[in-house]
Amino acid sequence: MGRYVIRRLLQAVLTFGVVMFLLHYLMSLAIQINGNPVRTFFGDKPVSPELLAATKAKFGLDDPCLSRVGDPCLNLFGKRMSDWASFDFGTNFNRADVSELILNAIPKTLQLFLIVTIVWVLFGITAGVLAAMRRGRFLDYLVRIGTTLTIAIPGFLLLILTQKIIGVWLGNWAREEFGRDSVLGIMFQPSYNARYPWLTLLVPGIVLGIFGIAGITRLSRTSMLENLRADFVRTAKAKGLRQRRVTIVHTLRNSLIPVITLIGFTLADALGGSVITEGIYGIPGMGKLAYDAVKKVDTPVIIAVTAILSVSYMLVNLLIDLLYAVLDPRIRYE
Amino acid sequence: MSDANVQVTAAVVPKTQKTRSLWSDAFHDLRKRPTVVISALVILVMLLIGFFPGLFNFQGQNPKACDLALTRGGMSGSHWFGFDEFGCDYYAQAIYGAGPSIQLAIIVVTATLLIGGLFGVLAGFYGGWVDAIFSRAVDVFNSIPFLLGAMLLLTMFRDWKIPGLGTRFQAIIPAAITLIIFSWTGTMRLIRASVIESRGLDYVQAARSLGASDRRIMFRHILPNAMAPVVSLIPLSIAGMITAEASLSFLGLGVRPPEITWGMMISTGAGYFTTGYPRLLLVPSAFLIITILAFVLLGDAIRDALDPKLR
Amino acid sequence: MSDVKIKSEILPDADPTATLLRVEDLRVEFHTRDGIAKAVNGASFSVESGETLAIVGESGSGKSVTSQAIMGILESPPARIAGGEVLFHNVDLLKLGKERARRVRGNHVAMVFQDALSALNPVWTVGFQLSELFRQHRGMSKKDAMARSLELLDLVKIPAAAQRLKEYPHQFSGGMRQRVMIAMALALDPDLLIADEPTTALDVTVQAQIMRLLKEIQIERHMGLILITHDLGVVADVADKISVMYAGRIVEQAPVLETFATPAHPYTKALLKSIPRLDTKGQRLEIIKGLPPVLTNLPPGCNFAPRCAYAQEICTRELPVLATVAADRAAACHFSSEVIQDV
Ligand SMILES: Nc1ncnc2c1ncn2[C@@H]1O[C@H](COP(=O)(O)OP(=O)(O)OP(=O)(O)O)[C@@H](O)[C@H]1O
Ligand code: SF4
Ligand SMILES: [Mg+2]
Repeated sequence: MGRYVIRRLLQAVLTFGVVMFLLHYLMSLAIQINGNPVRTFFGDKPVSPELLAATKAKFGLDDPCLSRVGDPCLNLFGKRMSDWASFDFGTNFNRADVSELILNAIPKTLQLFLIVTIVWVLFGITAGVLAAMRRGRFLDYLVRIGTTLTIAIPGFLLLILTQKIIGVWLGNWAREEFGRDSVLGIMFQPSYNARYPWLTLLVPGIVLGIFGIAGITRLSRTSMLENLRADFVRTAKAKGLRQRRVTIVHTLRNSLIPVITLIGFTLADALGGSVITEGIYGIPGMGKLAYDAVKKVDTPVIIAVTAILSVSYMLVNLLIDLLYAVLDPRIRYE
Repeated sequence: MSDANVQVTAAVVPKTQKTRSLWSDAFHDLRKRPTVVISALVILVMLLIGFFPGLFNFQGQNPKACDLALTRGGMSGSHWFGFDEFGCDYYAQAIYGAGPSIQLAIIVVTATLLIGGLFGVLAGFYGGWVDAIFSRAVDVFNSIPFLLGAMLLLTMFRDWKIPGLGTRFQAIIPAAITLIIFSWTGTMRLIRASVIESRGLDYVQAARSLGASDRRIMFRHILPNAMAPVVSLIPLSIAGMITAEASLSFLGLGVRPPEITWGMMISTGAGYFTTGYPRLLLVPSAFLIITILAFVLLGDAIRDALDPKLR
Repeated sequence: MSDVKIKSEILPDADPTATLLRVEDLRVEFHTRDGIAKAVNGASFSVESGETLAIVGESGSGKSVTSQAIMGILESPPARIAGGEVLFHNVDLLKLGKERARRVRGNHVAMVFQDALSALNPVWTVGFQLSELFRQHRGMSKKDAMARSLELLDLVKIPAAAQRLKEYPHQFSGGMRQRVMIAMALALDPDLLIADEPTTALDVTVQAQIMRLLKEIQIERHMGLILITHDLGVVADVADKISVMYAGRIVEQAPVLETFATPAHPYTKALLKSIPRLDTKGQRLEIIKGLPPVLTNLPPGCNFAPRCAYAQEICTRELPVLATVAADRAAACHFSSEVIQDV
């Protein structure tokens, strides 16, 4: 256990360092290729070289390495890391404090992902397990068709369609039928409403969850099928255990181990998907920040969001890998 | 030397035969299934549309000859899907919108196979620090959620032009490079795993003991077998790339204008869905979903046929 | 004390004076893509308490399927019990309701599987997997169940038992793991133990230890034992009776010593010939010329005919039935009296 944990931690630190450096290098490279962004602060107005130099200095964009294409600007790396570590992401091109923007956005994204996780576990795993247990029967085919469709319909399209169909059409009907403030009327909204955060997050959260659910469902099914055939399941039956116990304690428990790892990986897709989800539904989270930043070519915000979400993703997967050791004793005692 | 070769081939034969019969069994199994036949036909049509849109432009409409007077005009015999907001023929747009995404997907999947395949063989074959370096590199690229990383790259380099490329490639290549950067890792891991597995096989050991060179062992003996799992995933990878490109296009970061893609059409069409022009959203959506669905169904069927026990 | 009462409640109709286990004309088929595979085609045999019956036969002859049918753990579909009776103290186990059949497993009939590494659940401790039997079947508290599990490990002679209860199967050596399997099978003091190749996965010295342990406990508890094995040396050492299976049928059935001296069926004879005289341990029985028949398409007549040195024209036409050839001995061969005399 000890060795496994240490090795995994070392890997995480290394990966973290390289990712951070890549992001830093990208930032420098973008300035080197596209020109110093300080110029854009002044729009089309003519600006004196002195003022330009002063502004560059103020934003820490005056280093000569920023004009040498390909220079990794190693001298700036340390400073940037210590800034990021103290949650200082500088200002964007509208001179807003990026850290503040992000701090305000974090809770919404967390709320959204709580719903997403629940959808994965509740619908994804359950559907896969039930399909395996009713293999070759109606439910199995239904799950198969369902997962195929969720793979074949791109997430952003599913979001647009649900927004239009559930949010607008169904919502309008519900609002007319049950009143503007009825639960359904609020839930089926085309956009986020700060007065009812949870209710209006429900539909986009579920749709975002459906986004990555196919893999989870299918792996639950295969994993379950594989274990149902395992010798130890036969042993459990030979011990005269009840069917329910054989299924839950001796099959499901074993089958979930790989699924949990996959949930960690699926998070990456969902984090990307949150940009589109929050963008389309106007949810003021980190995804929305990135969505708007893309439209406005607001690189500092995109970098900050990418850095934070990448780090969260790495952390979650680190935790999952450690959890893996708890769940699978064969790794623990390697 | 020639002596050694004879023996090595003898040792290889059973394995290749086994592989071949696995594939031909799978093929026989697949040919009989209606979903497979239909998906394959759809894919064929879409590929034709993607590479030779002119063949399907039955009314001879020019997708770029637009007339603002015809904004969102209705459907008619010579304009099957009516007009878009700029008065361009929507059918022609949909037909010409297939090419960039499909070509991009094919470029990305091919490049992924080559790059991921090469790295996977090297890492799996040599192990040790070579493997360590490639595996950590995979970790790094997998640590940045794909869509975020792609957004970042494509936004930062949105004005960057690759000199000396035609318009079509100029439009496709930035998105393609980005997608390749974030997708070679999957192929590399699969190949690496199966290389490690086949490294221990008898016929590889035999080849090695007969003094075959590393390169020969890697590319003649190991790679052909190790490719099987990845090759069977090609249709699914293409589906994934078309999806990814459409998502990027929706954000305005995929294939660049003046090329048209279904993703862009969806992005603009969405705004008119509830204002009386649902077809502006539904037409490109249908094209996109049908294409992806065909690839997914074919891919699923191939995978099942090669590994029937979990069907 | 209460154990006995619980057990007698499961099968109130059982007649303790009747034969421990009598299998009559058991038939099992598998419904596969290639057709119906008749894995067991009318197998009949019996075991008394304290007796050891060895079942031998080539790979695929239906030994494991037979034992799983007795245990009631065949997966159906694809398996289907097409006929026959499994009489335990005169109660047909095949006709019991689901719940009753479940409680018979472990309490009355228990099984030891071949490969303990895969037969034990990798994610639970050995203590959990043992004590679970007491908790589920006897409703014991966790603590009592653990105490009983500890006794079991002592019984099967696993050193440092208290510590090992907390360990996982992969931390045990092969031999120790098989001891855990045996402990698990013995937990509820079954009347009949079925051991399906209990030592095949082990190395030779460990095989002997495990067999000795099984035999000791069997004698001590006066259990019936069905031992499925490929090792005729082991059969000679521990078994009282032998049943030889071929293509899902019992082709010869007799006391071990007599069978070894004068086999009454050409297949048995070939089996005995196929092992080297001196060291008979650890030999697999796959050295007879030709292949066993395809189970989805069994020929009429004697299934062994294509490989039989004694075959005559009648053999391909008429199926030989299991018939008495001498006191206590039966064989399914048209020419068994010649075979028995032909040394
Ligand atoms: N799940 C199944 N589906 C189809 N056929 C099966 C299944 N299980 C067993 N069989 C068939 O039943 C026959 C008997 O199998 P069984 O496992 O009883 O053989 P065995 O005598 O125990 O062989 P071994 O010595 O190899 O253990 C085999 O031919 C096998 O193909
Ligand atoms: S019946 Fe005929 S074929 Fe069958 S074992 Fe006897 S002699 Fe051989
Ligand atoms: Mg067997």
